[in-house]
Amino acid sequence: MIKKMLISISAMLVLFPTMAFAEDPSSATLNMGLNSLWVMLSAILVLLMQGGFILLETGSTRMKNAGHVAGKTIFTVGLCSLIYWAVGYGVAFGASGNDFFGWGDFLFDPSKVSVDNALPPTIFFLFQLAFAAVSLSIAWGGFAERAKFSVYLIFTILFTALIYPVVAHWIWGGGFLFQDGAQDFAGSTVVHLTGAMAALAGTILLKPRIGKFNKDGSANEILGHNQVFTALSVLILWVGWFGFNAGSTLAIGDGFFGYVAFNTQLGAAGGAVAAMLISWAVLGKTDIGTTLNGALAGLVAITASCAFVDPWAAVVIGLVAGVLVFYSTRFFEKIRIDDPIFALSVHGAAGIWGTLANGIFATEELATKLNTGKGGLIDTGSWDQLWVQLESVAVSGAYAFAVSFIILAVMKKVMGLRVTEEQEIAGLDLSEHGNYGYPEQLKKSSTPNIGA
Amino acid sequence: MTDPGWQQLLHGIAHADDSASLHRLRELVHDRMVARLPLQGTEQFYGELNDAHDAFVQRAIQLAQFELARLGRGVPPVPFAYLLFGSGGRREQTLLSDQDSGIIYADSLSQAEQEKSSQYFTALADRIVQLLLETGYPLCEGNVLSSNPEWCRSLSSWRVKLNGWFQEPAWEAVRYLLIVADSRCVYGETGLHDELKDDFYGDVIRQPIIVKRMLENTMKHKVLLNIFGQLLREQYGEDAGSIDIKYGAYIPMVNAIRLLAIEANLREASTLDRIRSLEKLGLVQPGEAAECIEIFLLFLRLRMMTTEKIENGQYTTNGKLSSSKLSKEMAEKLKNGLKLGKKLQRKVYRHTMSRL
Repeated sequence: MIKKMLISISAMLVLFPTMAFAEDPSSATLNMGLNSLWVMLSAILVLLMQGGFILLETGSTRMKNAGHVAGKTIFTVGLCSLIYWAVGYGVAFGASGNDFFGWGDFLFDPSKVSVDNALPPTIFFLFQLAFAAVSLSIAWGGFAERAKFSVYLIFTILFTALIYPVVAHWIWGGGFLFQDGAQDFAGSTVVHLTGAMAALAGTILLKPRIGKFNKDGSANEILGHNQVFTALSVLILWVGWFGFNAGSTLAIGDGFFGYVAFNTQLGAAGGAVAAMLISWAVLGKTDIGTTLNGALAGLVAITASCAFVDPWAAVVIGLVAGVLVFYSTRFFEKIRIDDPIFALSVHGAAGIWGTLANGIFATEELATKLNTGKGGLIDTGSWDQLWVQLESVAVSGAYAFAVSFIILAVMKKVMGLRVTEEQEIAGLDLSEHGNYGYPEQLKKSSTPNIGA
Repeated sequence: MTDPGWQQLLHGIAHADDSASLHRLRELVHDRMVARLPLQGTEQFYGELNDAHDAFVQRAIQLAQFELARLGRGVPPVPFAYLLFGSGGRREQTLLSDQDSGIIYADSLSQAEQEKSSQYFTALADRIVQLLLETGYPLCEGNVLSSNPEWCRSLSSWRVKLNGWFQEPAWEAVRYLLIVADSRCVYGETGLHDELKDDFYGDVIRQPIIVKRMLENTMKHKVLLNIFGQLLREQYGEDAGSIDIKYGAYIPMVNAIRLLAIEANLREASTLDRIRSLEKLGLVQPGEAAECIEIFLLFLRLRMMTTEKIENGQYTTNGKLSSSKLSKEMAEKLKNGLKLGKKLQRKVYRHTMSRL
C-alpha cells in the first residue's frame, strides 16, 4: 500500500513538478483534516452498531419473527435519518434555541466544507445522527415480537423529533442540564437511558408477549433462536463503541481519545467478567446471556464517565454494571415486565448507574480538562457533582418516559399497538411482511379454507 | 408391624389373583400411605412402603409363573433371581416409583438347555413387567427392565457382561456398573445375586481406576446451593420457584454414600444401611454418621412431598418440591442439610482421589 502510494506520488511529482512547490497546508487545516477523519470514522463505527442491534435483537427473539426484527431496523434507521435531518438536529443543536430545546437548522443545509477550520458540520451531523439511531434501536427492545409495523413507523418519527433531541439538547446542546454541569460524555443518559425509557413505556403498554408469564405470576423462559448471533452482536457493538465513546472527543487533539478508548475497554471487560461470575455464584451455572448483557452493561455504564475517570474507576464501574444487570433482569421479571432484549436492564439500569458513577468517580483534573462540571465525590469529597448527575438522570429519564408513554398511549387508543393473538402466534414475519426470514426452516401453514 | 389392617393388605397382595386386583390394592396402599405420611417416622414409613412394593413384585412374579404354566410353558427350568435396581434396589422407592429390574438365572450344562432357559425367562420377564405396568408401575425410561434381554441373563453371561464393563469404563458402562451396585434380590435364588456381587467387588478392588470413573459419573449432580448458601430454585416454567429435591439433594447424597460403600466393599444397597456400616467400619465418624442419617431422612421425607401427577392412571413424580409446600423452617433445615451434603461430596472426592 505504502509502496504504491510512494510510486504514485513520485509519478505525480514527475508529471506536475510545480505541485511540489504549492503552499503547504496550515497546521490548523491539517488538524481539521485529521479531526474530520476521526469523527467520520467514528460516525461510521456508530452506524455499524446498528448491525450489532440487528443481530442482538434477532438472536434474542424467535425464528418466526427474525426477518421482521432484523429488517425493520434498516427501515427505522432510514426514517430516523430523514426525520433527524428535517427536525431532530434542529431541536438538539439549532442555534436559536433556549434552555429547553434548540431551534433552527431544520431541513439542515450545512456548509459544504469546513468553516474556519472547524469540524465540518456535515460530519458532526452524521455523528450525531448515528447516536439518535442507536437510541431508537434501543427503544425497539421493548417492542419486540408483538408490535405492529405501523407502530415502528409513527414512533420513529415522534421519538426522533420530540424525545431524543430534547434530552440531547439539555445535556449536549447547551441546555439547562449542561449549564448545571451535568457530565455525560458519550450518552449513558442521553442515548441509552432515553432509549430504555421509551422501551419501558412500550413494553408496559404492549403488555408481555404471549406465554411469557403464567397465571400464577411465574415466568417462562422464551429463549432467543440464535445465541451465536447474540454473542456476535455484542462484539460488533463493543467495537462500534470505540467510535461512540472515543469519537465523542470530536478531535484528535493531544491524543486524549486514546485514553477514552482505553477506559471503554476496561469498563466493557469488567462488565462481562462480573456478570459471568455473579451468574455462576447465584445460579450455580455460568449464564451466557448474562455474560453478554454484562459486557454491554459495562459499555453503557462507562459511556458517561470514560473521559472523566481513572482506569481503576473504569474497572469498578464496569464490574458494578455487570452485577447490576444480572439483578436488574431478575427484578423486571419479578414485577412481570417483559423485556425481550433486556434493554431495560442493559441500557436503563446500567445507564443510570453510569451517569451517577460519574458523580462519584470523576476526577477534578479531567473535569477541569473537559470543562463541563466538577470532580466527583471520591476525588473532591464534595457531593455537588453527584447531585447534578442525579438531577440530570432523573429529569431526563422522567421526560423520556413520560413523553414516550403519552405518545404510545395515544397511539394505542387511536391505532392500536399490538398485532392480534393469531398474528403473534404465527409470527410477525408472516403477519407483517408475508414471508418468513427463514423460509426453509418454517413452513407456512396452509391457509384455512374458510368458505368450505 | 402392629397394624392389623396393614397385615391384611400385605396378605391381600400376596394372594391377589390378577393385575386388576393388584391395581386396586396398589391404590389402597397409596391412600393408606398418604394418610400415614404425617404421622409416621420417615424410616419406618419407607420400610413399610417398600415392603408393599416388594410384595407387589413378588406376587407379579408368581402370577406370571402361573400364567406361563397354564400356557404349557412349564416351570422355571433353572433357579433364578429377580433383581431390583435404582431406588427399588435401595428400598427407597416413593409412592410413585417406576420399574427398574433384571433377572439372573442359573447356567445349564448344555447349549440347548441354555437356549430353553433363555426363552422361558424372556417370556416370564415380559409377563412380569406387563403385570406390574397394569398394577401401576411405569416402565423405566432408560429401559433397565428384566424384559430387555440386556438385563435378563444367565449368571455366566452376566459375568461376561460385567467384565466387559469393567474393561472399558466408558460413561455408559460406568452407569451400568453403578446400577448394578444398587441391585437387590427381591425374589428367588439369592445365591445367584451374591455370586454376581462377589465378582463385582472383586473387580472393583482389582481396578481402582474404575472408582475414579464412578466418581466422575456420580459427582455430576450438584447440590442445589449457590456460593451464598441460597437454595437454587427452578427459575422458569410451571415449576418456577420449586426445588429439584431428587437431583439436587437426594441423588447427590445417594451417589456420595454409594461410592464410599463401594470403596469399603460393603454389599448393602440401602443408603441408610450403608451409612451405618460405614460408621461401624470407622470410615465415617459417629457424629458425622448421625448427621448424615438425619439429613438423608429429611431428603427422603421431602422427596415424598414432591409434586405428584397422575398421567393415564399411573403414578409419577417430577421430583420437584413446590415452594408452597416448603415451610420456612423446612427450607432452613434443607439448606443446612445441603451444606452437609456439599461437605460430604468434597469428602468423598478427596477420599477417592487419595486412593489412586
